[in-house]
Amino acid sequence: MAAIADKRSGAYTFLAYVTLVIISIFCLLPFVWMALASVDTNAKLFLKWPDGITFEHYTKVFAEENGVRWFANSLFTVLSATVLVMIISGLGGYALSRSRAWWKQPFLYAILLIRVLPSTALLVPLYKVLLTANIGLGNMLRPITGEYYRTVMQWFGFIDGYLGLIVVLATGQLPLALWIMKIFFDGVPKDYEEAAILDGATLVQRIHRVLIPLALPGLAAAGLFTFMSAWGDFLLPLILLSSPELQTLPIGLFRAFLRVNEIDYGLLAALATIYLIPAVIAFSFARRFLVQTFSGGVKG
Amino acid sequence: MTTPMIQLSGVRKSFGQVGVIQGVDIEVEDGEFSVFVGPSGCGKSTLLRMIAGLETIDGGDLILNGQRINDLPPDQRGIAMVFQSYALYPHMTVAQNIGFSLDLKKVPKAEIAREVGRVSEQLQLSELLDRRPAELSGGQRQRVAIGRAIIKRPRVILFDEPLSNLDAALRVQMRAELQKLHQELRPTIVYVTHDQVEAMTMATRIVVLNKGRVEQWDTPIALYNNPINTFVAGFIGSPRMNLIAGTITGDATVQGFKADAGWVARLDGRSLAGSIGQSVTLGVRPEDIRPVATAAEADLEARVAIVERLGAETYLNVRNGEDTLLVRAQGDLAMTPGTSVQLALNHAAFHLFDQTGAVIAA
Repeated sequence: MAAIADKRSGAYTFLAYVTLVIISIFCLLPFVWMALASVDTNAKLFLKWPDGITFEHYTKVFAEENGVRWFANSLFTVLSATVLVMIISGLGGYALSRSRAWWKQPFLYAILLIRVLPSTALLVPLYKVLLTANIGLGNMLRPITGEYYRTVMQWFGFIDGYLGLIVVLATGQLPLALWIMKIFFDGVPKDYEEAAILDGATLVQRIHRVLIPLALPGLAAAGLFTFMSAWGDFLLPLILLSSPELQTLPIGLFRAFLRVNEIDYGLLAALATIYLIPAVIAFSFARRFLVQTFSGGVKG
Repeated sequence: MTTPMIQLSGVRKSFGQVGVIQGVDIEVEDGEFSVFVGPSGCGKSTLLRMIAGLETIDGGDLILNGQRINDLPPDQRGIAMVFQSYALYPHMTVAQNIGFSLDLKKVPKAEIAREVGRVSEQLQLSELLDRRPAELSGGQRQRVAIGRAIIKRPRVILFDEPLSNLDAALRVQMRAELQKLHQELRPTIVYVTHDQVEAMTMATRIVVLNKGRVEQWDTPIALYNNPINTFVAGFIGSPRMNLIAGTITGDATVQGFKADAGWVARLDGRSLAGSIGQSVTLGVRPEDIRPVATAAEADLEARVAIVERLGAETYLNVRNGEDTLLVRAQGDLAMTPGTSVQLALNHAAFHLFDQTGAVIAA
């Protein structure tokens, strides 16, 4: 009897593994194509072994196209948004966790609603608001900045400026980050802070020496989610940025794909590979904090 | 008479409309191990947090070593606290945890190391200084929490239910360690617990709190022998005292107690001739009721409901009319639930309370 059961469970296990392997191959194929095509001297739309190995697509991204610029723009805006989200969600999540205000629950659900609404639906009013703000800011800055007006607006403008994109990217990611940090701080006993108060720690010392170290796993999780979502965002930079020198990686990839006369699959694959790498690095970096955050708070 | 280390007079605290501390007057002497005990919600933790400075005081005076400290910030009171969770910082080593308060005060590194060394030696933590709290046992964590308290050389150490997270065996061991620590270092300790066994075993004096008021305040044995009301009588002592409603009966020479359930027992050792006919509550400890062989020796007959055989002694939960009585009998008794048992009281060991619950003094 036992032998039959073993045989049957053996067959089931084999079937299960075969199924899993097929699914895995299916999922991996696009990445395999991308990696192969990016080094193929004669890349095509279908999967094939490279005719010859070359890195000219990568050099082309950086030398002929504006790859360095796109990459730097993406990294700068997304990292700035991430830092902004980590600071605001850290402070805000702490306040939301400790506060007993009556508006706490309504507020938390309201910000979750922002996350649920499709951001595409909000683009037009958002653009209108940003445009108005941009005109106001422009009128204010034009007399003081003089000949540097255009440069200043590229940094601080709400439309076609870094600041606008950073603020909007951060706003979009803030609800989830606030929830992560609120729930994280719910799991951090008040005793730690009270012990620090009795030890003579000032407010700044309590934040710096006790709360931030305790909150690090949560902040890493919130930061990672922000980074990955913002890094993958395509629509916002497409709408908000128009100057070529402000373009980000996904926009560069998109424009390279749209060129009518020539589709250079090798270049596209190389660009896509470069686009993937920071997200993978961010994930491997923050993985252990993610596990800690989602398996339950601070252990001491 | 020396000045007490801590003096509370008329201390009050409300949360909104609810008065959680309603006028507390107590004193804690220097070097005393004082225990606040009471059921949950009695305000004992709030009172402790008011002494620590973590809760504001709405009225009355909190005096530490002769100085009124109602409005002094927590870190300037010379008070340390050991939290229920111990609140050891998980990202710091044992040494960093213990030295944290000195580090905040910008004490030179060498001096911190020397102080941490001194404290960790006292608490036998020297081997563990490089570990993190997660790598310590429950007992070791408690010692680190105490180390973090005593490195400040506080005038008072407050403990907020420090043993309630531990399992039963560890709790007994930690109780012994705390007593040893108190004997060696003689700090003034204020200790909060809901467990009267902890209070009885460790305290120099016990403050029994109920609904934000001090019910009684005395040494453990005095509380046990002379509870001033039915609350203290029922709270102190394990298993708890039996409280039975009835009246005083008898004549000028012999008085007794007639339970509402009908049985009568003689009361010896004090004259109650003046109280005949008075409605009272009789308090009898479980160890002062014993099973006897014949009805002639017995004061009452009862039906056995539950038998707990512990080996050296047996707890009998018996019913007589409306009353449930607890009997703590010596030795192992193999009784069957449902059978009758003859019970005799220790006629000289009883407490009488009037209808308000206050003791009727001898």
